[in-house]
Amino acid sequence: MNKLIPILVSVIVALGVLLSSIFVVDQRQFAVVYTLGEIRNVIDRPGLHFKWPPPFQNVVYYDKRILTLDTTDVDRFITSEKLNLQVDTFIKWQIIEPKAFIRSVQGSQVIASDRISRSLRDALNNEIAKRTVSEIISGDRSKLMGDVRRKIDEDSQQIGVRIVDVGLKRVDFAPEVSSRVFDRMQSERKRVANERRATGAAESDKIRADAEKQREVILAEAYRDAQRVKGEGDARAAAIFAEAFGRNPEFADFYRSLEAYRSTFRDRSDVMVVDPSASFFRHLREPMSPEKR
Amino acid sequence: MPKSFRNIFSLNDPGWGRGGGDSKPPPKGDGPPDLDELWRDFNRKLNGMFKRRPGGPGGPSGPGGGIVEPPSMKGAGIGLGVIGVAGLLLWMGSGFYIVPEGHQSAVLRFGEFKQLVDRAGITWRMPYPIESHEIVNAQQLRQIEVGYRNTVRNKTLREALMLTTDQSIVDLQFALQFRIGDARAFLFNNNFGVGPEETVRQAAETAMREVVGRRTIDQVLYEEKEQVAKDVRGMAQGILDRYQSGITLVDVTVQQAQPPDQVQDAFEDANKAAQDRERQINEGQAYANDILPKARGTAARLGEEAEGYKQRVIATAEGDASRFSQIHAEYAKAPRVTRDRMYIDAMQHVFSNVSKVYVDTQGGVNLLSLPLDRLLQQGGVRSDAGRMTSAPSAGLPAGSEAGSANPAPVSRTDGLRNRDRDAR
Repeated sequence: MNKLIPILVSVIVALGVLLSSIFVVDQRQFAVVYTLGEIRNVIDRPGLHFKWPPPFQNVVYYDKRILTLDTTDVDRFITSEKLNLQVDTFIKWQIIEPKAFIRSVQGSQVIASDRISRSLRDALNNEIAKRTVSEIISGDRSKLMGDVRRKIDEDSQQIGVRIVDVGLKRVDFAPEVSSRVFDRMQSERKRVANERRATGAAESDKIRADAEKQREVILAEAYRDAQRVKGEGDARAAAIFAEAFGRNPEFADFYRSLEAYRSTFRDRSDVMVVDPSASFFRHLREPMSPEKR
Repeated sequence: MPKSFRNIFSLNDPGWGRGGGDSKPPPKGDGPPDLDELWRDFNRKLNGMFKRRPGGPGGPSGPGGGIVEPPSMKGAGIGLGVIGVAGLLLWMGSGFYIVPEGHQSAVLRFGEFKQLVDRAGITWRMPYPIESHEIVNAQQLRQIEVGYRNTVRNKTLREALMLTTDQSIVDLQFALQFRIGDARAFLFNNNFGVGPEETVRQAAETAMREVVGRRTIDQVLYEEKEQVAKDVRGMAQGILDRYQSGITLVDVTVQQAQPPDQVQDAFEDANKAAQDRERQINEGQAYANDILPKARGTAARLGEEAEGYKQRVIATAEGDASRFSQIHAEYAKAPRVTRDRMYIDAMQHVFSNVSKVYVDTQGGVNLLSLPLDRLLQQGGVRSDAGRMTSAPSAGLPAGSEAGSANPAPVSRTDGLRNRDRDAR
């Protein structure tokens, strides 16, 4: 049993040394192996790896994944037409060169973020100053972000960082410009409203006028047709009369005259001053006279 | 000692670069830490302790000791062997874990991704420290809201207000639903920090602002609402794919799109104006619908009247002509007699109806002055007021003629009847 204890101790010591010289690199990490404070090796392959036990060699891990830098504060920039814009951005970045990353920013994400956001502000300043508001808001947005990304990326390569993406979350007018925008929107809407009301009235008038025109046309055409029909009737009647009366115009004349007398003198208010010489009264005058005619 | 501390620090670091927490549980997975996780953690801690005092004699006492013990046990007593076997079994048993329904688990061997297990239930992997696993809830639909929180009324204007291409400002609230479509990409490509929501929100905001920035305010508010949501989904998905985030957007819905409060009234008025326009047009239409049918009715009446007139005139003419023809036929047989008879009939009718003054103008001079106006007046009165008053005053200047006027005081209908009889 006395022998067993030293064996056990030595086994455990050996095991401890062995364990501290084995290390695991995760899928999501870089491992940087230092030898007495000097960077010896960068391991980006996940799995089991070996090194000398401390204090000869140490391992430090860095994140391999895409990281987010989202500035909480909103920056103000001036466009080419001297308008104030508030821009809120975020950056997706990734450590690609752990050596450079450690050397330039002491392996600190905080320092790296600081540096990146400084160059972001710089790049945004330049790029926004080149563009008009409408270029920034509308079509050119992805190109703007691409340009900014490229610029920061160039700068970031020195610190071993790749800029994956620059996102333009918010692009808004500064508050003092906003109020003017609201005024403009208001006047614009007023214009639209007036236009709508005016066109409504015009449209309505047009419909009314058109209806009235149609009415006139309908009535006029109806009158025309009615007159034509009446004329047909008159013509036909005249033809009938002519046909009948034409057989004996003299008698027709007599017949029609008698008809006319009958219908003209038929009221007591019609006063006739008659002369006895009228043939109607011939018998009244000389009852026994023979026929004259 | 500082080295191993640092080691642990960087392995478990939940928020890189934020300093602080040294022994927090690892941030992997998104559910609450499961038993296995705790067990592993416990193991590791024991292991660490063991490492730090390598000379300690009580090594194989705890279950944690089993991890390091079995291979090195040699020549020990049978009791130690039993303990070792039990420890080995326990160790192997620690490789069991449960994958809940709808979740996926990624198995890592020495930190390297090995496989994805997507069937639910109990699963085994090699025990720590050889293999580890991470569980991802792949089926769960998660929702984030942009421009509001919880309810649409609770707006966050900083997110909600955005610029359109005509440099107007709209107030837009929308929601996204997403799930983890690719657990492997989700686990290994992005450091999401507090969670994937923030990344989705960033992508969505960027996409929404770009999509809205390409449209006019009218398009965003009224004309292309659907298309906006569709475009945002496509664009945000593109951004998330660029990060290889493994996140799949399921749905983007625009909850509310409004003009900002400051200009709401003006927009309301413009909308009202549109209604007014509709109303005015409708009124015009109503007027047209009123007068046109009336005009058509009038036209139809005119037509019918004309047709009636025509028929009447023709029928009258035919009747008159037929009557004449018949009389003429008789007349032709005895012209003189017929003619005289007709003449006398007519004259009788005429004289029986009118007021007459029988004067011989041939013989004498015009001594006679007739009060014609009075006669006329009387005739008028008589025909108007009635025959009774006219009868006594009938014989005024020419009393002798009263007799001839006698047949007059028959009623008018009689006269008419007489005339009819005459005509026949």
